[in-house]
Amino acid sequence: MPFIRLSLVAAVALLATGCANNSPALGSKNISYGDTKAVETVTNEFGSTDLQMIAESMTRSLAQSGTLQGRPVVQVYDVKNKTSEYIDTREITTSIKTQLMKSGTARFASDNTDMQSQVDQLKLQNQSGLYKQSTVSKTGNMVAAKYRLEGSISSIVKRSSDYKDVFYKFSLQLIDVESGLAEWMDEKEIRKTTER
Amino acid sequence: MLRKLFGLMALALLAGCATPPPPAPDSAASKVVAMGSLKNIEIGPMRVARENGFMTVNVSLNNTSRYNKTLYYRFAWLGNDGFPVAEPEAWKSLTLYGAQSSFLPAIAPVPKATDLRLEVKTP
Repeated sequence: MPFIRLSLVAAVALLATGCANNSPALGSKNISYGDTKAVETVTNEFGSTDLQMIAESMTRSLAQSGTLQGRPVVQVYDVKNKTSEYIDTREITTSIKTQLMKSGTARFASDNTDMQSQVDQLKLQNQSGLYKQSTVSKTGNMVAAKYRLEGSISSIVKRSSDYKDVFYKFSLQLIDVESGLAEWMDEKEIRKTTER
Repeated sequence: MLRKLFGLMALALLAGCATPPPPAPDSAASKVVAMGSLKNIEIGPMRVARENGFMTVNVSLNNTSRYNKTLYYRFAWLGNDGFPVAEPEAWKSLTLYGAQSSFLPAIAPVPKATDLRLEVKTP
């Protein structure tokens, strides 16, 4: 009799531990985190892999070209989207900026979107009288860009009854602000084809 | 006589079970990490150089099949201690036409990179 009781207790304990949730995940099994670096071919519109390939290819080509000697100051302009689809081109330039910054080859001046915040902050510090004078950032000391970086992305889309073909061309150039000369230029081409 | 024969058989069995020798350090083969066996794609010699302070590599590839093949690949850039010096790269896809020999060029993202690994996978 004590043996049966002991066995029952053991069985209940086993069941209880078996049902316990010891996984660090919570929620539906239909939702999962994927690899952000995976080759994405869900549709043939502009996707994450295209963005990553363009940023990687352009950054490395520019960094290794030897044009950026002595960590010059670069101003990044928006990439012109000449394709027929919506592409957040700011994300391309942000990735390029981040990777160039990490490679240690360039410094970046405030670009057109950051400029207003930069000017506002300088004005606030210098004109409001709110700040201790010794801590105020002086006006007239902002560093001007030696180069500007600008580019464009265009596409050619062709459709037939069997295929949809999209050809993207991304161009980027580095221009010396003083001379106006293009010092470096590169292109990245991507072809994506869907067979219907 | 029988003992000798058994001895020889045991030796043959042992030799058969032996694993192939690992690739020589710093050889092209030692820098390739294939995820599973590569189907119809051979990875040949690698040319590694340093240009303007950045490590560059060019890898020779060969499609041994008569048909077009896809290769998924990415590079991992390592420092002197053998650990990565940059964020993991995005996987990329490369098409090799039937019986095509091609080259795969790459540039390290940071000057600190002194070694590399090429991760490859065929679908």
